Amino acid sequence: MKIKVQTKGGSSDFDCGPEESLLYAGLRNGLALPYECATGTCGTCRARVVKGKTHLEWADAPGMSYVKQEKKEILMCQARARGDCTLRVPGKMTGEIKRDRWPSYFDGQVNNCRLVTHDVALFDVNLDKPTSFDAGQFVLLESDEVVGTRAYSMVNYDRETNKLVFVIKRKHEGKFSDWIFDNNVEGKSIKIFGPLGCATFHPKENKNLLCIAGGSGIAGMMAIVSHGCQSSYFETRNGFIFFGVRSKNDVFFLEELSNYVMKYPENLEVTIALSEETNASGLQEYYQEYYQNLRFATGFVHAVASEKMADKYVDMLAYVAGPPLMVDSTLRMLVLEAKLPGTNIRYDKFT
Amino acid sequence: MTWQKVCAADDIANNTLQRFEVDGVAIVVANYGDGFQAIAPYCPHMEEPLHESGILETSGILTCSKHLWQWDIRTGEMVGMAEKSLLCYEIKVEAGDVLINIEKELVYEYDEEDELDDDDFFN
Repeated sequence: MKIKVQTKGGSSDFDCGPEESLLYAGLRNGLALPYECATGTCGTCRARVVKGKTHLEWADAPGMSYVKQEKKEILMCQARARGDCTLRVPGKMTGEIKRDRWPSYFDGQVNNCRLVTHDVALFDVNLDKPTSFDAGQFVLLESDEVVGTRAYSMVNYDRETNKLVFVIKRKHEGKFSDWIFDNNVEGKSIKIFGPLGCATFHPKENKNLLCIAGGSGIAGMMAIVSHGCQSSYFETRNGFIFFGVRSKNDVFFLEELSNYVMKYPENLEVTIALSEETNASGLQEYYQEYYQNLRFATGFVHAVASEKMADKYVDMLAYVAGPPLMVDSTLRMLVLEAKLPGTNIRYDKFT
Repeated sequence: MTWQKVCAADDIANNTLQRFEVDGVAIVVANYGDGFQAIAPYCPHMEEPLHESGILETSGILTCSKHLWQWDIRTGEMVGMAEKSLLCYEIKVEAGDVLINIEKELVYEYDEEDELDDDDFFN
């Protein structure tokens, strides 16, 4: 089916499969359509159907609260075409997607699923063909055994790789996390669409980095730090990583983070913030034997970052990822205290 | 032109925003320290209620924390990533009261006269 998209910058055409999301079809054809979550929650991919018919796969998606259905508005991520269509998209389309980052569909297999805390697991997905992505990007995962698609950020940073690594936290009544945690998913088939997302790291920007993550929001930060280490970025630039969890039972990635700091002890600082612990010096002692080069603090991660970062915000680019409340508190802190302009803050809000 | 009282100037703390209804019209009033500004109550991007999502700095920069669109609250002009200016009402302070002039309700294009309706624009 032929889809025409009209925007302030002109119009573009692309082909779309019969059961394919209009958003995904546009993106895989290199069109920089507006989106954020790509899974029906944020409302960013709102568009109006001015010609043709569409069908919404998930008519009750939370993001539908942003659209005016009486004006034939849709969420492109949830819409399927029922023939040729013309859409109008508000706002600007921001630039082009680099050719080697055009998202596409992959078939994959789940491998090496391993628990790293009582409710957090890592798993790999082996792809049927290699892909490259930017550090901080995510993909959509879909299993035939669970309804719907889920977005997960890659932990690893590799080019032309067949392996993606993910971190998943068990969610109350989370169907996908139940599928991962309660079943033997080793070798199970999974569909992948990506890479997606603009909260990405590019060494040529040449700024100091501040990464503030809550829980499994650390995933994309691990890729950013990995890319930074691979590109010797921290030889000349500072990196400040703040990783927030609840308690000692919830920490993970300490060994990996410690290894990164070992490479650049002068310029890379990692602080673990534990919101439900109260004895900061006790924590430092507790972890000192194995992780001398990591710092430990008590409190919410945005508050810990606020205290430790005062006067260090020179030439800074900030990345934030985690649960909505944590991201909102952190954004407020970065605007009001750090006085970072919005253009120097990239964030990924789990919804 | 009809000036109407919104509140006492002291009712709004420095560098904060408050939502009011004046004759059934919702507005948000900002106290930016050196003065006051009255704006349409929603973010022109995705209709976030700015009295909740807005962060007002001492420098007079207003940020919507939803997607980090920013404006200079003194003028309503765009800063950084914003793609639309704020719609502002006339406002003044007299005898300790904040007064605004509402000739008609200000609404962004996504509402009454949606730009997506504008065939000439897209053709």
